[in-house]
Amino acid sequence: MGATDDDNALISQCLKGDHAAFESLIRMHQRMIHSLTFRMTGSLADGEDLAQQTFLRAYEQLGSFRGGAKFSSWLYRIAVNTCLNWRRREMRRRQLHAAWADNSSRQRAEPAHPADENDLGRRVQEALMKLPAKQRAAMVLTVYDGFNHAEAARILGCSETTVSWRIFAARNKLKRWLKPAARGSPGR
Amino acid sequence: MNDSELDRMLQAARVPDCPEEYWAQFPKDVVSRLRWNTAAKPAGEPRWFPRLAWGLATVAVCLVAGIIVGRWQGQRESGSYALLQNQKVITEMLSLFPNQVRAIMQDEHGVSLMLSDEANLPPSPPLWVKVCDGKHCSAAVTFSGQEIQLAGRKIMVLADAHGGVLLVGNDFVWSSEEPGSTKTRLKIETRNLGGVTL
Repeated sequence: MGATDDDNALISQCLKGDHAAFESLIRMHQRMIHSLTFRMTGSLADGEDLAQQTFLRAYEQLGSFRGGAKFSSWLYRIAVNTCLNWRRREMRRRQLHAAWADNSSRQRAEPAHPADENDLGRRVQEALMKLPAKQRAAMVLTVYDGFNHAEAARILGCSETTVSWRIFAARNKLKRWLKPAARGSPGR
Repeated sequence: MNDSELDRMLQAARVPDCPEEYWAQFPKDVVSRLRWNTAAKPAGEPRWFPRLAWGLATVAVCLVAGIIVGRWQGQRESGSYALLQNQKVITEMLSLFPNQVRAIMQDEHGVSLMLSDEANLPPSPPLWVKVCDGKHCSAAVTFSGQEIQLAGRKIMVLADAHGGVLLVGNDFVWSSEEPGSTKTRLKIETRNLGGVTL
């Protein structure tokens, strides 16, 4: 399935430098990108920052978009890569802090969900954050965004078999971590 | 727990919602950032020019690397790995690819150049690093924030606020401020080449 006529018209205008058209494209896709970046980071602030980066990169790369593909899938691919790169930088930063800062016990400063939000949401997000980033991306794309394995493979730039394996591994871990529903958060 | 039970559980965890004002403002914020860079315009169709540019750049790199290797071999007796502390050589390399050189590497196989895809690396003073693990030695001139392969391991090189150099590996963190405090078998030397200018 290709990009919709609406998408194509707006993309053409964007390529002529029309920022208002790009603003409309953002409006159409901002919620799905925010959901993805939040699920990938577990943080509203980081999610917002990565959503911004995603749209900025999309604008820069708009000329390489081929109309034969779904625009949303193309955008997802940029978002996933942005999140995976962020994850690598974040891990290095945390590694450095852990080695040098005395207060290494201080982990993520910002809770994924406000304290008054439901416990299930927090536990699920904590469990997702414990997954390796690529497994998490595969789960988010298939469970939350409804992509099949072939579509997820195209977005993630890997084979369908790899996606299936990542999902299988991720599911096994999540089942284990989320099983004791009454015992609080998943163990480390 | 089976797959469908897990899916139900995962889907019950919703993304915290943002107020409508946020959704109204977000596209404007992104576009403001685009306008901040007045030259921001989406890249058009990919053209032949970048390929030609890359081809020419590759040829230039080979030429420069060849010249450097030749000079290096002539000067081996005067101390291996000293080449990358030669200000003139570094200045030439950096001016050839401004804001694009990630590292100039040197090991027992010779000299190589690591370039970024785009000329978008932030300006920072060059850092000279030499790492030996007992069997192999590698030296590099690189910049703060770059992750490079030295003596067979990935190491992130950082400059600290006092002009010192930090090296972060998978199993160690080393600082030029306290070189003896890190338990690693690696022999590490660093120097901030802040005086090298383009």
